[in-house]
This record gives sequence, structure tokens and C-alpha cells, in this order.
Amino acid sequence: MEDPQMQDLEVPENYSFIRDGQSTVSFSGQTARISMGEELISAMKEEDVSEQTLLEMFRNEKASGADANPFSEASLNESTKSIKSKVAASKDLFSANTAGSAVIKADFESWITGQVDEIFANSNQLAAPGIAGQIADGESVRYVNALGLEYNQAVNKSLVGALMVDQILNNYLSPEVLDAEDNIENNNADITEDSKSYTTMEHKWDEAYGYLFGKSVDKTDPTSDIGNDDSFLNKYLGRVNNDEDFAGIAIAIYDAYKKGRAAIVAKDYDVRDEQADILKESISKVIAIRAVYYLQQAKNGIPADGNTALYGSAFHDLSEGFGFVYSLLFTREPGSSEAYFSRVEVDNFLEILLSGDGFWDVTPSELDGISEQIAAKFDFTVAQAGS
Amino acid sequence: MITNKISFLSLVLCLTCFYACKDEMDGPEVDNFDRSVMLSNWADNIIIPAYTDYVEKLTVLSNEVEGFQVDATESNLSTLRSAYTAAYLSWQQVSFFEIGKAEALALRNNTNIYPTDKEKIVNNINSGVYNLALPSNFATQGFPALDYLLFGLGDTDEIIVNALSQEDYLAYIERLVDRMLMLTDAVLTDWTTSYRDQFVANTNSSASGAVDKLVNDYIFHYERFLRAGKIGIPAGVFSGNSIASAVEAPYSGSFSRQLLLTNLNAMQNFFNGKNYKGGSNGPSLDAYLDFLNSIKNGADLSTAINQQLDLSRTEIEQLGANLQSQVLENNNKMLVAYDALQKCVVLLKVDMLQALSINVDFVDADGD
Repeated sequence: MEDPQMQDLEVPENYSFIRDGQSTVSFSGQTARISMGEELISAMKEEDVSEQTLLEMFRNEKASGADANPFSEASLNESTKSIKSKVAASKDLFSANTAGSAVIKADFESWITGQVDEIFANSNQLAAPGIAGQIADGESVRYVNALGLEYNQAVNKSLVGALMVDQILNNYLSPEVLDAEDNIENNNADITEDSKSYTTMEHKWDEAYGYLFGKSVDKTDPTSDIGNDDSFLNKYLGRVNNDEDFAGIAIAIYDAYKKGRAAIVAKDYDVRDEQADILKESISKVIAIRAVYYLQQAKNGIPADGNTALYGSAFHDLSEGFGFVYSLLFTREPGSSEAYFSRVEVDNFLEILLSGDGFWDVTPSELDGISEQIAAKFDFTVAQAGS
Repeated sequence: MITNKISFLSLVLCLTCFYACKDEMDGPEVDNFDRSVMLSNWADNIIIPAYTDYVEKLTVLSNEVEGFQVDATESNLSTLRSAYTAAYLSWQQVSFFEIGKAEALALRNNTNIYPTDKEKIVNNINSGVYNLALPSNFATQGFPALDYLLFGLGDTDEIIVNALSQEDYLAYIERLVDRMLMLTDAVLTDWTTSYRDQFVANTNSSASGAVDKLVNDYIFHYERFLRAGKIGIPAGVFSGNSIASAVEAPYSGSFSRQLLLTNLNAMQNFFNGKNYKGGSNGPSLDAYLDFLNSIKNGADLSTAINQQLDLSRTEIEQLGANLQSQVLENNNKMLVAYDALQKCVVLLKVDMLQALSINVDFVDADGD
């Protein structure tokens, strides 16, 4: 094969790439799925919502498989896309692990139905060990299952991993996807997709970008409002970036996206994969930091005197922490074919959180133990992540 | 002579060991300010007298509810309202002592969450099925609910008396007042039977020490319930849009500024250790800071805090008696008052805590 026409690597100031006067950047499908996720987690807080509606929002189809219109936005209803089809659905981790994927999809559906069957059904009683109900978190009210878990938080925070992180790190940044079929030849020859301005490889990279910046106000320059654009990965990258221990991580991630995309334009696939590795490490780290953060916040919130009325604040943190621990399943260690944490390791963490009376009998030392094990795989300390 | 010296040395060694062991048990002693005298002053001269007064005012309120039940007249409504006013002002004197039983019972959430949820109150009354112990009913009880029921059911007193003459409305008011009295009684009884001694003896300077805890509760109240709740939220500091209806006690009209001033004065009096029943000041945070200042030769923080609180009061006195009207007519004055209160947050939360070697034990919720 002839060497590709190497071009100078020019990284643009913004995430803006042009061919023949037309933008080559497109990720509307990712924006749509983030919007579907927003509607789902919002609907999970409405006590009069039906289990059927929530499941249709997750699947974007009826139980029979017929077309459903569960969303408020017409474009989402018209779409054939769904959240469920992209949950735990990456090429690298799940194409040969459909059984594992099915377990994860079933977890989400059990949390969604539990919101109606367990939480809304018992919303007018006080929560206690073994009893679902409501509990005060300061002036707010939280609604928890018999173990203290808020299912809407489990869905929201676990989707960050199972949908966004899995699709970005284990699918669209994977050479298995970027270089599939004749993508390299076509990209080398600037052969674009039918009636599109982009090559397939360019588009795959942009789809990885879209799961983080798909709802940004300025999608070509998303860093100014990072953290305010969705309730998922964008939001929590913003939170981590606001911690002075991790200041600059958002720009580093944005720069890696830009440079990797510029490398595709320049046909320099080594540089592209170096940037993908930076993204794998940095985005995995965001999940790990957030998991440790919430476990540490929960530790500080456990009432010293065991007063059950005062557990609400710790439960809210534990519910968010639960989702980020679950999301560890979808992180990706650079240079490895696997996540930073195996299913066995994550199940072990979740078991510590949920065994016995669940969050009611979690101890500070258990939370420290999980936090230490998570932080040990990265270059940050529990103390840095915890505040 | 030699024997004496040895004995003296042994005694010193023993004492050293005793204190060292004590330190290990109780956490580090950062200074030798007598915390137990300060804690006694707080408990005996401020907290317990203030709760005692508040329980008395609630008892009067409860009696006036009964009086109105017997004879629902405009005159009795007026008496009932006076009892409500007196009790609400007395509440401002204890609202920042959310420690011990008050914390365990979430007294503040059950007493003064506003804006009150009037639709839900009416639903509760009409259905007759409600559990005031549920957190989802915080906004249907306490003083804000009474404010609505005693002042907000109509434009004239005649209409209000007629509305309140319905048995289920009166029954609801009775339950609200009974609950406030029951919860507060439990708090006061705990202070007078067992908690007082436990509190005064808990002199260590770790996160669980009484000084550390109450100072945190004090600052949390100042920041969240005084600065934000009474001024910042209605003035739109956090949302960007002013919310006039979010003031405290909006239905009783020209009462909100007085509630705010009473709370501010109570918090400043506590800072200075002022005896609730009058007389001379006892040791409190001002004296503690002066004591530390004499060691460290730093800036005079207690004076700076008092000056800033005085300035805040001056700004608040510039506001109209009805803060809802103030928001609607000239919200900028609300913002000016907020800014004065905010400046003291920095003095209390940063400078004072640093001087006292106390860690903040609360975080600003991340809002999701």
C-alpha cells in the first residue's frame, strides 16, 4: 500500500474542522441521547409517572416493540435511537460479552421500575432500615428504597459510565471502531461518506466528542460553560475541574479531543491513538474522583449518634456514589483491553455498600476502604478527591 | 529537701502523664482558654433561659388557640395573633441552637421552613389525612403555616374569622401548635435534665466537642437561615430573580424585618455572651477571640465582627418593616443589606474559625 499523503498536524484553536468550505463535524445522535437521558431522570422525580412511561423513555419503544412517543421533544420521539441500545454496548467491552451487557441493562430497568414499585409506592412513610420511604436531607426530602438507595440517582450517575463513558472510551476511541473496514483507506484518500462532508473515521471521533460536549452552548468552544451543559459527564467533568486539585483537567481533555481529530485530518494515527490514551486515562479518572468524592462526603455525613432521622444527607451522597462506583465498570485503562476495575471488583464494592441493611449500616472504615482501592489505581489521593 | 524535690518532680511527671493521656482521649487542647466556663455561660445564661421563654410563649399561643376555638371573634383573633407574634420573635432567640435534641428532632425544619406550601396545607386540612412527622410536610407546619392561616385566608379579619371558624381549620392550627410545643418541650427537658452537663463537660477541641459543634451550627444558621433565608433568597441573590413572596412571614405583612433584626440581635448577643435575662456579659466567642488575640497579637477580630454586625443592623434598619414590599419597591436596598451580612460570613467562617482552630463541618450542597 502506498504511504498516505502525510500532512502537517495543525491543531485548530476550536473544535472546528472544514472540508471544501463545509463543517465536517457532526454528533447530533449523541446530543439526542443526552437529551433522552435528561428527560428520563427528570421524569423519575415525578410521582405520577407510570412505570410504562419510564421504561418507554429508556427503550424509546413500547414493551411490544412498537414505536413509542414518551418524550416531550418531537425529534426525540421520531428518532429510532434509544438510551438502552447504547447502554453497555461498546465494541471493545461488550461485543463479545452480550451476557454482561444484558445484566447491566437489566440493572437499569430494575432501578427504573423500583422507582415506581418501591419508592413512589412508599413515599408517604418515613424510611427506616428495611423500609422504603422518605428521609430529610437538610430541608430537602429524599426518597429511598429499603436499603437507603435513591434509584433516580443510581440511574443518573450510572448512565454517566454505562452510556457516555462506555461509548466514548470503549467504542468510538477504539481502533476497532475508528479503523473498521476500509476506514483508514478512505480517510487517507479523503473519501467521505455518501452525501456527507466527513470521512467515517472523522465522524467516529466526533461521536466520542458529542457524548461529552453534545449539549454545550458553543459546541466548537465548549470550555467556558463546562459543567453547566448536561446532568451527565459534562456536569461532573465541570465539578472535578472546579476542584483546585484537578484544575485544568477539562482543558486537557478538550485539547486531546482537538489534537486527536486534527491527527485524523493529518492521517497521523499514532498521534491520534496517543490522544485517545490521554482521554481514556483522564475521563476514567473523572469517574474515579467523583466516586471517591461522594463516598468521602457520605462518610462525613453519617450521624455519629446513629440517629436514623439524620441519615438523609449521607444517603444522598451514597446514592450518587453508588452510581459512580457502578460507572467504574466502563472506565478504560490505556494500553489494556479492559476497564480499570473488573465486574468482580465493582460487585465487591457494591456488596459492601448494599449488604445487610444497605446504607443504614455502612461504616466510615468501609467507605475509606473502597475509596483507597479506587484511588490506588490512579495518581490522586483520597484526600484530594474527597473535598 | 532532696526528697521533697523528687516528690515534686514525680508530681509534675504524673500530671504531665495525666494531661497527655487526657489529650489522647479527648483530642488536642489548642489553648488553655477555659471552655467549660464559656459552655456554662452559654447553657445556663443564654440557651436554657431562651428555650424556657420560648416554651412559655408557645404555651400562651396554645391557650389562645383554645380561646379562639371557644369563641371565634375578631377580638380573639387579634389576641391569638399577638401570641403568634410573641412566640415567633422568641423563636428567633433559639433558632440557631440546632444541637443535641434540637438537631435530633430537626426542630428548625419542623418550625420555620418557608415559603409555606399553602396548597398542601389546604389539602391536608381537607383530606384530614396527613403525617406532620414526614419531611415532605416541613413546609405545611410551624410558624410559616400559622402565618398563612392567621393572616392569609382573606382580605379582611371578618373573612379570616369566618374561614377559621371551620372546625377542620381550627383542628389543624391546634395540631400545629401542639406539635411545636411538644418538640420544643422535649428539647428544653433534655437540656435541663441531662444534656446541660454533657454539653458543659464536652470541652475537647475535636469535631465532636461542644464548642466546635455549636460554633459550626451558629455559622451555618447565620449563613443559610439568616443571610440567605431572610434576605438573600427573596432578594434574588442566588437565582438572579427576586422572589418577594419568599420572605419570612409574608402574610402578616410588616413583621419580616422585625423577625430578621431579632435573629441578628440574638446572634450578636450570643457572640458577646450576653445574659438572656439581662445583666453583665459572660465569656463567649468575643472573649475567646480576645484571649487568643492577646497571645498571637493579631488583628482585633472580635471588634471587627461586632462592627460588621452593627453595620448590617444599620443597613437592615434602612429597610421597610415589610420586606416583601421592600423587594418589590427597591430591591437594591435588600442587596446592600445582604452584602453587609455577607462580609461577616468571611469574618466568622474564615478568620474566626482559623483563630479558634475549628474545622467547618458542613458543606454547601452541590445542588443535585
